[in-house]
Amino acid sequence: MSAYHPDDMTLMNYAAGSCSIPESLAVAMHLCFCHDCRQHVKNLNHLGGALLETIKPASTDDDAFETLMSSLEPHDHSAPVKVKMEPTPNDRAIQHFTNPLLRYLPTSLADLPWQRQTKEISKFDLTSLVNVKGFQVALQKISAGAKVPKHTHKGFEYTVILSGGYSDELGVYHEGDFIARDASHKHSPTALQNEDCICLTVLNAPLKFTGWYRVLNPFMAWN
Amino acid sequence: MTTKKAVSMNDSTAANDAPDWGALLARVAENDDKAAFRAIYQHFAPRIKAYAINQGFSQHAEVLVQEVMTSVWRNADKYSESLASVSTWIFTITRNQRIDILRKLNRTRAEIVIETEDLWQIPTEDTTICSIQNLSTEKFVKAAIDKLPEEQMIALRKVYYEGKTHEEVAEELNIPLGTVKGRLRLSLQKLRVMFEAKEI
Repeated sequence: MSAYHPDDMTLMNYAAGSCSIPESLAVAMHLCFCHDCRQHVKNLNHLGGALLETIKPASTDDDAFETLMSSLEPHDHSAPVKVKMEPTPNDRAIQHFTNPLLRYLPTSLADLPWQRQTKEISKFDLTSLVNVKGFQVALQKISAGAKVPKHTHKGFEYTVILSGGYSDELGVYHEGDFIARDASHKHSPTALQNEDCICLTVLNAPLKFTGWYRVLNPFMAWN
Repeated sequence: MTTKKAVSMNDSTAANDAPDWGALLARVAENDDKAAFRAIYQHFAPRIKAYAINQGFSQHAEVLVQEVMTSVWRNADKYSESLASVSTWIFTITRNQRIDILRKLNRTRAEIVIETEDLWQIPTEDTTICSIQNLSTEKFVKAAIDKLPEEQMIALRKVYYEGKTHEEVAEELNIPLGTVKGRLRLSLQKLRVMFEAKEI
């Protein structure tokens, strides 16, 4: 159970589907670890369902239903009865919410072709996977006990710890924790002593946005 | 069964004796039941369209409706009352399809892009929660919304349902940005307290 969570506004934006893809990746990774936040998102989804029920309906095109009906195919009843997904014991933390990165990583976390940054810090870039302008997304690996040089963020940074842990001036963080930092924070994270720390980091580029709310809907720019 | 007539799209006050949407979905999945699907369509399509329009989908509103209803038809057999009420299930499909459409419109290059469905998964846990509890959750959420002060609900609806930024809400309501943020914070706090009290 993690101790640091996305705040209510972030979870609501996630449930509403109005946060950016990189941000949703960070939230989704946290959800893999956190029962409480999964539960809260579920409740916020119910809020969405309730709002759908109470919305003032708009009129739809008269022939829309028949047009749709003519494009639909009958259900395939010859298919085997649906198989209930049984969680395997090994899934433990992740059984209720599939790690969204699993399908996209070439190998397991341990065997990734890490790109060495310094002797003790390496990264695996995911920016092109997420492919949203203005965001840098990566997995970072910090050797046990190593210190990341002090830095500030011009935009914001979300970190989700996937294994190990680190500490900084504001706290000690463990597997599953979701840490949000913005320009007001200066920090120099130090990986905990016992094992390497692997985390997901989502950074927004400082130039494009004036405040972090501005980034919530970059993919809606066409509107 | 003549549930069809009970759900004309103008009948938004029928919440108390709402049809059993889960049973209708099962009929769609098992028998390709057109009448059942029509009942679902007549209730939900106008709501999905209103959502789409609120979200700024002017010319794409009908596209979203068709995408969502196609998905409802195809996935009717995957719906389970133990996971969510039908309106919540359809809301999550609508949300994901909306994101998908926006991503497709905005996609510049063909690259490996993480799927919306991987990022916004529909929770599958808590098999211990039975359908009755889920239906009561739905009622509970509706009651919780009614308990929020109207000014907070308006702000929440605009952000949650219309995808507006806090700045836009402030401008629309002609109130300071700080007030919008305060109302949102309070409404979310209250909802959390009510949700958590229920779970105990």
